[in-house]
Amino acid sequence: MNNSVVIKSNKHGITVVLDNRADFTTLKSCVEDKFRQSAAFFGNVDMALAFEGRPVTNEEQKELLDIIEKETSMNILCVMDNDENKDAAFVRAVHGSCIQEQTQTASDGLFYKGTLRSGQVLESETSIIVLGDVNPGGRIISKGNVIILGSLRGNVFAGANGDEHAFVVALEMNPMQIKIGDVIARSSDSAQTKKNKNKTVSPKISFVEDGNIYIEDLTSDILEDIRI
Amino acid sequence: MSEVIVVTSGKGGVGKTTTTANIGTGLAKLGKKVVMIDTDTGLRNLDVVLGLENRIVYNLVDVVEGNCRIKQAMITDKRCPKLYLLPTAQTRDKSAITPEQMIKVLDELKEDPEEFDYIILDCPAGIEQGFQNAIAGADRALVVTTPEVSAIRDADRIVGLLDAHGLKDHEDLIVNRIRMDMVNRGEMMSIDDVNDILQLNVIGAVPDDENIVVATNKGQPLVGDDSLAGQAYMNICRRIIGEDVPFLDLNGKGGFFKKLSSLFKGK
Repeated sequence: MNNSVVIKSNKHGITVVLDNRADFTTLKSCVEDKFRQSAAFFGNVDMALAFEGRPVTNEEQKELLDIIEKETSMNILCVMDNDENKDAAFVRAVHGSCIQEQTQTASDGLFYKGTLRSGQVLESETSIIVLGDVNPGGRIISKGNVIILGSLRGNVFAGANGDEHAFVVALEMNPMQIKIGDVIARSSDSAQTKKNKNKTVSPKISFVEDGNIYIEDLTSDILEDIRI
Repeated sequence: MSEVIVVTSGKGGVGKTTTTANIGTGLAKLGKKVVMIDTDTGLRNLDVVLGLENRIVYNLVDVVEGNCRIKQAMITDKRCPKLYLLPTAQTRDKSAITPEQMIKVLDELKEDPEEFDYIILDCPAGIEQGFQNAIAGADRALVVTTPEVSAIRDADRIVGLLDAHGLKDHEDLIVNRIRMDMVNRGEMMSIDDVNDILQLNVIGAVPDDENIVVATNKGQPLVGDDSLAGQAYMNICRRIIGEDVPFLDLNGKGGFFKKLSSLFKGK
């Protein structure tokens, strides 16, 4: 009979284990007894409290707290929740925003209008579309793909989280360096100045195949092979 | 209200000071009231190029430190009475002035009853404190570059910083020291090649001209004289005050063959 209520304690609080079979009136008197007996033991301290063993409604909880506060000089700072569903809900609420950010993936896109000049860095979790040029010394870092509607003369790093399926497209492909996933390529050392002077420039795509970076004309065959 | 124009380049030795001296003098010759401020503390030479070194008593650092009034530090040019130079200190370094102090000096000049039309700032090379001081109060920037990759790279960096400073669309490009013979041979970048990268409004191109060296050493800016460079600088000045001036044919005398071919074309 007397064991329908058990008090467990730890450094910062106590857990009151209630017998699931006993009715609430009995439990109340038991709680009253137990805490009266142990009032001297707990003394005048700040405590957190939790109920276990059976579900307690808000009114029941309030009644029990009143009893405990009456019988002892403890200061109950808060009542801990043991409900796992609620717990999960809290986690969701607190970390929800982070999860939201994670859903913004490489397949989303960021538009940037303007020329990326020497010393400027554009970095994004998502794919990047540049409406302008990337000048020598400029740098783009994206976890997704990079599309440059202009001239690429700087550095670009696509698939920055190691994704070798990422690709880079530029209307004029003349990069210092391209890095896709963990593969890196640099421009050739042959004289750059007079290259494609008379040649009409065509849009190009660079991608990784067999651990090498390839730069090809942007044809429909190539586009077929792209995985997004 | 005076317009504050900063002449900058990033790289050293591309002709910022020469450009400042010539544009300042040119604007004064066009009847404008102009103050030139040398912000290259510790390595000043705008005064040398203008031939005013011997007149310096007080300088910009004295002004910001309160050792003198701003008018005491301003030197009137020996040829143009409407042209003033505010030199900086040679015995200090860039940290002697802060951007806030610079803006205060500019505000004082803007409110001056003499009503200066233009305040032209000669910016030091680099992107550190001296550069930050120079651009702090600028309304407009003239970016000077030469047709070399290193100068263009630095100019590009500078334009990025100017954009970030809120001067976007207030930047004009001067391509300095261009040699048309080399451009025609395909050995030097043309103005279009340069602006392919920088994409600014080209306000002028100045040919590489021996007369510049002579003029600089004499301390007499050649703006407005018969030399090709002198004409090019005067055209830039007229474009600055809003005139629509056609671009100079930098081929100049152009050589015998060019004249001959144009003769044939014209029949």
